[in-house]
Amino acid sequence: MTLHTLSALRRATLLGLAAVSLAACNNKRVSRVDPASVTDLSGRWNDVDSKLVANAMIDQSFSGPWTAQYASAHGGTTPTVIIGSFRNRTLEHVPIGTFVKDLERAYVNSGRVRLVASRDERTEVRDERDDQQTNASAETRARIGKENGANYMLQGDVQAIEDAEGREKVVFYQVDAFLVDLESNQKVWIGQHKIKKYIDRRRVGW
Amino acid sequence: MTSTLKTSLALGAVAVLAACNGPRRIREVPILMNGDRTASQDRMIANAAADGYADNAMLTHARDSVYAKAVATCRGTICASVVKGEISLGMTPAQAMAATRTAPMAWTLRESGAATVMVPRTLGQSPRDATGEVVMVQFDDERVNAYSYRETQGIRVVSAAADTTMEGRATAMADALIREGDQFNAAGDRAKALDRYDRALALKRADAMLEYKVATMLDLQLRPVEAQIRYQRFLQSLEIERIQARGQASAQLADAIARAQQRLIVLERQTVVPAAAPSSVPPAPRTVTPPDSVPTSHE
Repeated sequence: MTLHTLSALRRATLLGLAAVSLAACNNKRVSRVDPASVTDLSGRWNDVDSKLVANAMIDQSFSGPWTAQYASAHGGTTPTVIIGSFRNRTLEHVPIGTFVKDLERAYVNSGRVRLVASRDERTEVRDERDDQQTNASAETRARIGKENGANYMLQGDVQAIEDAEGREKVVFYQVDAFLVDLESNQKVWIGQHKIKKYIDRRRVGW
Repeated sequence: MTSTLKTSLALGAVAVLAACNGPRRIREVPILMNGDRTASQDRMIANAAADGYADNAMLTHARDSVYAKAVATCRGTICASVVKGEISLGMTPAQAMAATRTAPMAWTLRESGAATVMVPRTLGQSPRDATGEVVMVQFDDERVNAYSYRETQGIRVVSAAADTTMEGRATAMADALIREGDQFNAAGDRAKALDRYDRALALKRADAMLEYKVATMLDLQLRPVEAQIRYQRFLQSLEIERIQARGQASAQLADAIARAQQRLIVLERQTVVPAAAPSSVPPAPRTVTPPDSVPTSHE
């Protein structure tokens, strides 16, 4: 091996090391984007789906006659709703709370529906109220037996159907929500939203 | 010849490839792409709030107008009932609406001569007063002469002053429970029949026949000790009733009295504990013979 060849080999090794070092550099980029923007990466359930479901449910819920009928029969009093169980019946992780909380917010902020704390939430509130009966002064104590009873319970579920062939996949989500009269078990409103996604995993693409 | 063969083979290969079961590309136009925007929820909520505010303001105004009219024309107990939120006999339609805190939109009125019937406009959305869910109000010459509530045991009609008292309500509920108990008894479900009679007895304590029915149910379910007590209570309550009736023969209860006395003798004999005798053989379980028949209607 000549000196010239050795020098060339050294250069090549240095170049390779430099390339590896560059590749190992931290190339992470973080930026804030509009929460209303559509950003689909993997094709799984994401924030856009949650928002689409929430929007559809809010729109359908307020366009249904149930609030007006209740208010009419009760001299303008708005109905009271409690959030019941909302089940994820898909194999995917679907955070139900995001769109249910959007719907709760719409109910309360619109002033058309009153909302009472759900079973889980009220336990903590009742504990605090019980504690006040012993420890708070009489004039600031929250009184017991003053809770509002709900007229309707919101229940629902999310279901999914998948179809895949090769690099293509279609996922269909169906979200159903309904309000049940707590006295008569009558369903007074049913909301539904369907999302169909086509995912094409191309090997080469621009 | 060779080139023709080659061309044919190439075309055949292309045809075979084309016939392959390749992926089915979906040719649907996307409705939402990366970079698009979802609708604003705040705007939707604001619109809903505006609509709701207008509707509620209209309803509240109508309700308040009816209430003002009702209070302006009421007197004495009717006024008190309107304020308490309780329908009472003799009210006008406006007062009945005011008592249920509703406006005319909540009701459908049907008129036939001097009679008017007011029913909820929406099924399943009946207005309520302080007592319960009102399903019908009947007027005679613009005054309430009867009204009905939907209760657990069925529809309860109030058409007399006595029906409006707590006792009247309890009696109506007890009667409904007794009817339900009779139906269960006729269907052969004695446990449920007994449950309904027990609940009725809590509302209507001084009812001898009800006591007798409970006794019979217990007797039929082979609960002799409780049955015995109930038969005794039935006979005791009858004594009181006889005194209250000032010696009038109560023919309708004669059969029940005879049966109760007969069953008491049988049960007392069967429940007497025999003198303990030392024996290695365990005593045979006592058998209690049930009565022959069961009353099915409340007299």
